[in-house]
Amino acid sequence: MRPENSIESHHFEALGTTCALFAVGLARARLLEAEDWTRRTGARLTRFSPDSELSILNASAGRWVDVGAELEAVLRESLLAFELSAGLVNVAVLPAMLAAGYTRSLAEGPTVATLDARGVPRLPDVLEVGRGRARIAPGSGVDLGGIAKGWMADRLCEMFGPNFVANLGGDLRAAGAGPRGDGWPVGIGGTTLALRDHGAATSSVRRRRWGAALHHLIDPRSGLPARTGLDEVSVVARSAVEAEVVAKTALVLGPDLAPAYCARHALAYWLEASHDG
Amino acid sequence: MRPFVLKAAATALTMATTVASALFVTSHLKNPAAPLQPSVLTVSRNDVGGLIVGPSVQAADVEPVTSTYAS
Repeated sequence: MRPENSIESHHFEALGTTCALFAVGLARARLLEAEDWTRRTGARLTRFSPDSELSILNASAGRWVDVGAELEAVLRESLLAFELSAGLVNVAVLPAMLAAGYTRSLAEGPTVATLDARGVPRLPDVLEVGRGRARIAPGSGVDLGGIAKGWMADRLCEMFGPNFVANLGGDLRAAGAGPRGDGWPVGIGGTTLALRDHGAATSSVRRRRWGAALHHLIDPRSGLPARTGLDEVSVVARSAVEAEVVAKTALVLGPDLAPAYCARHALAYWLEASHDG
Repeated sequence: MRPFVLKAAATALTMATTVASALFVTSHLKNPAAPLQPSVLTVSRNDVGGLIVGPSVQAADVEPVTSTYAS
């Protein structure tokens, strides 16, 4: 084992959550650059700002809209996530999220839920992505949520690696050999794992909830907040965005199917059952 | 006469090929009792509530620098 190298770290609030960056052999100024990129990109991808690129796209009512490279990439990643999850990770849940009362940042509090069970449209049926432009069907909308955070964590490691960790509210990517040469020590399910060019993510219905059955994780099959028998899933995968997709899919699948799905798609996983049955 | 010979020859050739293929396939089965893949379908519900770690990820014996969590 090599002697431990010193870690430069930087914590900040962005994307509606706490973000943390860690690096070996990188000047602090570079971590501040990474924070700046995170804030600028997050501002383009959020649905909570009416001026963001995403909000403009959501309001375009079926017209083609010019989009930047980052939004185009995350939209394409969302279409891949739809395929990988057999439709269970579907960013077109925005109308259902709004109906559940998640109309603004939860720091400002939820609004009244007007739940009506309606299926969420298939993402490829309502979202088209071209080079530098995108189109969303009228009446539809997308919330990029965890996919955007995972995608950003992956890009941060590409830009600021080779020995770097980006943790954006639990969606994290660990690149390189870490401080001791055997990987970055990362906590998952109460255990420390040495991650080396891996991603990790946690999907949960315990946070971002505002009522007994109201929370942010929508089951696309019903259009209602998921209630599957699992409360929380943590996953290690080859990238942060892949970990996010696998964790969310497993949570929606529930305790009967999630173990087999995770065994096939995750490098490590933690499933926690609901305590309320 | 000639069309009949051609039809008979084609039929015989087809039947011979079918029999030969069947014999070849059955004689090359390595293990007729082998389970269907993927084997992960045998994972049980007991995996809920514990950390399952695959061979490509190692445990570490130091404090974590950060963790994945719900936000």
